[in-house]
Amino acid sequence: MSELEYYAQNRRGVSGWFKVRGYVIERKLYALHRITGILIVLFILPHFYSTGWHPGLWWDALLGVIVTFHVANGLRLTLLELFGIGIGKPLLVKKPFQRPVSIEGKQRYLLAISIIIFIALALIWSYYAILVKPLMGG
Amino acid sequence: MRESTKMLLHYITALIIIVTGLIHLLANNDPNIGKLITANTYLYLGNMAIFLAALLYHTFNGIRVILIELVPDKCWTKLIGWAILLIGIATYIVGFQVLLMALGLI
Amino acid sequence: MESSMDLWKPVGTVKIRVYKYNPKKDFAPGWKEYEIEVSRGTTILDALLRIKEEIDPSLAFRYSCGQALCGSCAMMVNGRQMLICRTRVLEVVKDGKVELRPLDNFPIIRDLACDFKSFFDKHRAVKPWIIRRDVEELENPTGDYKQTIEEYARYYQFTDCLLCGACYSACPTVATDHEYLGPQALAQAYRYIIDTRDEGLEERIAVVDSDHGCWRCHFATSCSDVCPKYVDPAQGIQLLKKLIMRSKLGFKPHKPAEVLPSKIGEVKKR
Repeated sequence: MSELEYYAQNRRGVSGWFKVRGYVIERKLYALHRITGILIVLFILPHFYSTGWHPGLWWDALLGVIVTFHVANGLRLTLLELFGIGIGKPLLVKKPFQRPVSIEGKQRYLLAISIIIFIALALIWSYYAILVKPLMGG
Repeated sequence: MRESTKMLLHYITALIIIVTGLIHLLANNDPNIGKLITANTYLYLGNMAIFLAALLYHTFNGIRVILIELVPDKCWTKLIGWAILLIGIATYIVGFQVLLMALGLI
Repeated sequence: MESSMDLWKPVGTVKIRVYKYNPKKDFAPGWKEYEIEVSRGTTILDALLRIKEEIDPSLAFRYSCGQALCGSCAMMVNGRQMLICRTRVLEVVKDGKVELRPLDNFPIIRDLACDFKSFFDKHRAVKPWIIRRDVEELENPTGDYKQTIEEYARYYQFTDCLLCGACYSACPTVATDHEYLGPQALAQAYRYIIDTRDEGLEERIAVVDSDHGCWRCHFATSCSDVCPKYVDPAQGIQLLKKLIMRSKLGFKPHKPAEVLPSKIGEVKKR
């Protein structure tokens, strides 16, 4: 009986968070933001427990990529949601096959800037993790 | 507390994390700037205390949001909210103690 | 010379793979494939009607206007929410196949038809009507409410909503959170709050600024991506968040609209 109800309910559940195929890139960024957030929480637990532990060279760089993505995307989301920067104005006239203004308007510039910030921060972090920190004593 | 207040704090703590976290990372990874930052232990302690508070609020609020989306029933929502608050305060107290020990002040 | 009737000349066959499930009888859902002859102009709805007429009368699906006006025929076509009455088969065919499923995250009644009860309940919960406080004017109307074209432009886009359910189905938050109001209800809440004729800000904010209100939106934008009328609910929700933040600081979205006294009944002196 519960088998019947499960299929009839037709809820995607957690797999719905990660169903990104066929949708715009912002959907993929949302999934990545969620994944990186959870991974950061998983890193923070051993970091607190054994004071200041952090993984070695390349793993530190990977951690850097995860954290800087979450930061850069988070900045984009803060600007969009709190201040409405890049979200555009509601339209009075819609053209045929109109693409949504909130996605494919000025928001794409904000997206490009946040990706540039992400790459820049990730490179700086990796530089410190791989080249500078070992010289300081690991 | 309205949901919008909790989310406003979520965004504000995010900005605080970026600033104080940067200071924390530079103190630990850059030889030159690191010495400058850790010169005054009490200022660094202040920075880390604010960083810890902001980080724990942002993390636990994020966990609360994900848990509420997974288990939306009303009674669970209240329970999760209060449990997360208590765990957060407890973690901050423990974390602050560890911080004092690490900086050699206890 | 090409004539417009070339649109209806059969150009080949396509396999339509349909999700078949009757919760009252079947243990688990299954799939059935039908081969249908299509032309350039055949819509998926045309194909389904042909299947129901000639091959399998037991197929259950919803449709009404056939011209993307009613929102009845929304379903998953190759994994993406669409209105089948205006999607041509040859537009979406992949390797000679088109896969049809009922909308994600809606309870299934049978085959391709879903239950919209909780979707409509959430729409009702945001009070989708104009709320006014001037009882005197409502009882004895003396004229219309003034509204400039700029004020109209601030909400017109959201009035095109068909309640088809495509945005609600595409939202990742709806996948796990059955209490979440959904992009459709939230965009309509914004449409009524920002309407200058409306005075129901406090009532609607109490509904929308809750545990399962607009703050469970994380800007995945799939709702705006799939909307067949280009309503852009994602924009509505982010503007709603901005409005709530501004109202916390004391800024009201607009002044309530004044009455423009009507001249009906006034006899013109010649």
